[in-house]
Amino acid sequence: MTGNLRKNLTGYGFVLPWLMGLTFFIAYPFFAAGYFSFCDFPPMKGPMFIGGDNYVELLSDPIFHRTLGVTTMFAAVAIPLGVLLAMSLALFLNAKIHGQAIYRVVFYLPHLVPTVVVAVLWMWIFNPEAGLLNLVLRYLFAVADGWTGLFFDIDRLAGGTGSLTPRAGLLLLALVPALLAWGPLARKIHRPESRARPVLATVAVVAIVLAALAIVGALLYRFAPGDMKKIHSPGWLTDGDPFPAGVPFAPSWALWGIIIMSMWGIGQMAVIYLAKLQDVPVELYEAAEIDGAGWWRKTISVTIPMISPVILFNVVMSIIGAFQVFAAPYIMTQGGPENKTRFVAMFVYDQAFQYHRVGYASAVAAVLFLIIVALTLVAFRLSKRHVHYSAR
Amino acid sequence: MRSVHLILCLIILAVAAFAWIERKPTVSQFDPTIHEGFKAAWAKGKHFASNAERDAAFRDNWNGRVHISYWEKWGSFEAEACQKMVDAFNESQESIFVHYVRTSQVDRKAMLAIVGGDPPEVVGLWSNNVRPFAEADALLPLDEWMAKSGLTDDHYILNYLLLCRHKGTTFCLPSTPATIALFYNKDHYRLKADKLIAAGCDPNRPPRTIAELDRYADAMSEFHPDGTPNVMGFIPTEPGWFPTSWPYFFGGALWDANTGELTIDRPENIRAFEWIKSYANRYGRQNLSRFQQGFGNYDSPQNAFIDGKVSMVLQGVYFPAFIDRHRPHLKYGVAPFPTVDGVPGPRSLMNEDVLGIPRGCKHPKEAWTFLHWVQTQGLPIVCRLQGKHLPIRPSPEDDRKFRQGHPNRFLDTFDELAKAKHSFIMPRTAVWREYADEYRVAFDHVWHWAPPADELEGLTGEAHSKKLRELCRREIVETLGRMRKHLEERQKTVKKREAMRDGMGAR
Repeated sequence: MTGNLRKNLTGYGFVLPWLMGLTFFIAYPFFAAGYFSFCDFPPMKGPMFIGGDNYVELLSDPIFHRTLGVTTMFAAVAIPLGVLLAMSLALFLNAKIHGQAIYRVVFYLPHLVPTVVVAVLWMWIFNPEAGLLNLVLRYLFAVADGWTGLFFDIDRLAGGTGSLTPRAGLLLLALVPALLAWGPLARKIHRPESRARPVLATVAVVAIVLAALAIVGALLYRFAPGDMKKIHSPGWLTDGDPFPAGVPFAPSWALWGIIIMSMWGIGQMAVIYLAKLQDVPVELYEAAEIDGAGWWRKTISVTIPMISPVILFNVVMSIIGAFQVFAAPYIMTQGGPENKTRFVAMFVYDQAFQYHRVGYASAVAAVLFLIIVALTLVAFRLSKRHVHYSAR
Repeated sequence: MRSVHLILCLIILAVAAFAWIERKPTVSQFDPTIHEGFKAAWAKGKHFASNAERDAAFRDNWNGRVHISYWEKWGSFEAEACQKMVDAFNESQESIFVHYVRTSQVDRKAMLAIVGGDPPEVVGLWSNNVRPFAEADALLPLDEWMAKSGLTDDHYILNYLLLCRHKGTTFCLPSTPATIALFYNKDHYRLKADKLIAAGCDPNRPPRTIAELDRYADAMSEFHPDGTPNVMGFIPTEPGWFPTSWPYFFGGALWDANTGELTIDRPENIRAFEWIKSYANRYGRQNLSRFQQGFGNYDSPQNAFIDGKVSMVLQGVYFPAFIDRHRPHLKYGVAPFPTVDGVPGPRSLMNEDVLGIPRGCKHPKEAWTFLHWVQTQGLPIVCRLQGKHLPIRPSPEDDRKFRQGHPNRFLDTFDELAKAKHSFIMPRTAVWREYADEYRVAFDHVWHWAPPADELEGLTGEAHSKKLRELCRREIVETLGRMRKHLEERQKTVKKREAMRDGMGAR
């Protein structure tokens, strides 16, 4: 046996277990499902070729349309939100702050918890009466409502006629001392050893959150008074009403629940961003600083272009993940209320294991596969102009 | 470097030790012949007084027995009851040993096991599994065995046997039956007697018609100052397990048993949905949903009825056992669920758990021996311990024995409902699983549907109520109509495919 042949055989020997796994557990089921999608296939009776009937049936199946709509809605909201939050988290974790390692671990930990455990945990968090989330919302809105009432004329807002109260002038007046104080305050904050820094940062975050809620409150009073009442203590997983009401294709409260829950696992994405963030050359930041760039400009013009390949990777993975969501809604809502949290993957499962229609389930899976491929291709195509590969 | 190796070895040892301690139980652990040496001596010493003789006999015939597995769905005390029945069988003879395997989602797992060619010998399914399993050719027909061993229709309450049949062939046999009835909290009736009398209701008896039920429910409900419920008299969605039963209490039905036609949108069913929606309109669907979110699990002291949050519920024959577990001193009564005026009663949904022998199992004959024993001797054990009535017609002597000291005080009520002329079973159509799922979605939709505010604007009093009823009715008719259309399409597709298969088979 020549040296080359032996070398090759050894190599193939090493990859053989993997190749067998690929053939029997991935390639065969993949192609078999493709064939079954053209068959009527009750499990005990074997496949019977029926041409494209399953695909024709899909076109007029209202439940499939509903599940596809729910999945698309989830993807449309959860993917951008997840990418944005993960990136913000990564920027935060990249900052030189005390206990940085602990924060990194804390934010990554949820990703290690099994989905079933997370789902059960969040069912309690979303409980409208005893849940943690509504408890926090009630406290936040107790203060935010005061702010809304202080600055906005609620009665007239609800009628759609008025807006700010004369008291809102106080806001403008408050701006003057704030601007005057900003100079010395900013200098103090910028000193890393300043003790006032964490206190002021906390005050600023709380004030921003409350102000945001007050503005959200005012907008809701103006456009959706029903939602305003509900947002104080939503029914979450049991509520099938859309939020915001009246907005076409808006997710239901129950779907919002699943979206919020899915944000809990962004630690994984954030860690990938973080790895790339630490790879951005310091010289670029130094050059930007010499040119007078502040934090925001540096983020927009240096950080984001440099980590854009990772953003693309995360977007593609999120697209794939979003169209495969199954365990969390299956446990938390079983697709309810009114199928408003029934995802396509659940539909596939029901067809195959509940109704014993393996052929039809395969057809849905094939359509799902094509959708994921198409969206991934679109993501790659759109990214060509915006993704910057430093090695090229 | 040495210390690293030492630590690694220790870790491996710790993992191995943990894995050994946490190892899964195996069938061999049930085998008394392997308990030799120290273990056997220890076990013998421990149980010598009570079990030595039995253990010895058991050990002698262990290897000569045919071991079969029985998959069943129950947990908690219901599983213990079933285990006791299995133990009694294992002790009753020396040729077969049944291993009871508790399995969640037993129907789905059983189907996978059957398709995979390695099913258990006996599987405990729900009666609504009979048709899909029979049509999938997943169960063995039992008629021939029944005829040989003398099990006839007379042995059973007929409806319970019919639930086990598909196209005239028996594919399963009953294990434990269930009928449903109205459970009412007698303490609440006593405490709110004045309100009940003022509403024209008799606090000493449960309601007999749906109109009465509504009056009782109204009088017994209590609200917080902000209008949210504190105690509700009755809610059609609590516990919400039998939504497909409501039409039958209004004289409706979900299908025509003679023609196989789906009748979801017949007038009586629409009336039932209007009644359901009237609760959501009267008390506020959001209020009720939030109220229900505060309830605990079914099998817990925080169960809405056990905890006194809801005064009347529609529940099954098994429920008293759960009440006894969590609040044994609760004063409650059980009565047939009311029907609407003019619809004869008493009536109840008849449902049951069934036992079948999967096709492809290794020991079908032994499985039948077990099944036959269950039908003739095992059912009284399991039904009694689970607090249920019997799906069979026992001899007067056996019946007397069964009833003596039975834990369910309301056994007679459930038994009468099982034999009642107007009691009903769920449709036996090929698309029943889809039907039931879509029904739930339609039910949810009607319950949560909010009428357009602009159509009710400016209306008050009776005009408002009338318009609201009209809008709800329109929505119900449209929803049920859509559902029927979709299911009829499905039914057509199923028939078409069946015909194609038959055609291929004929060729």
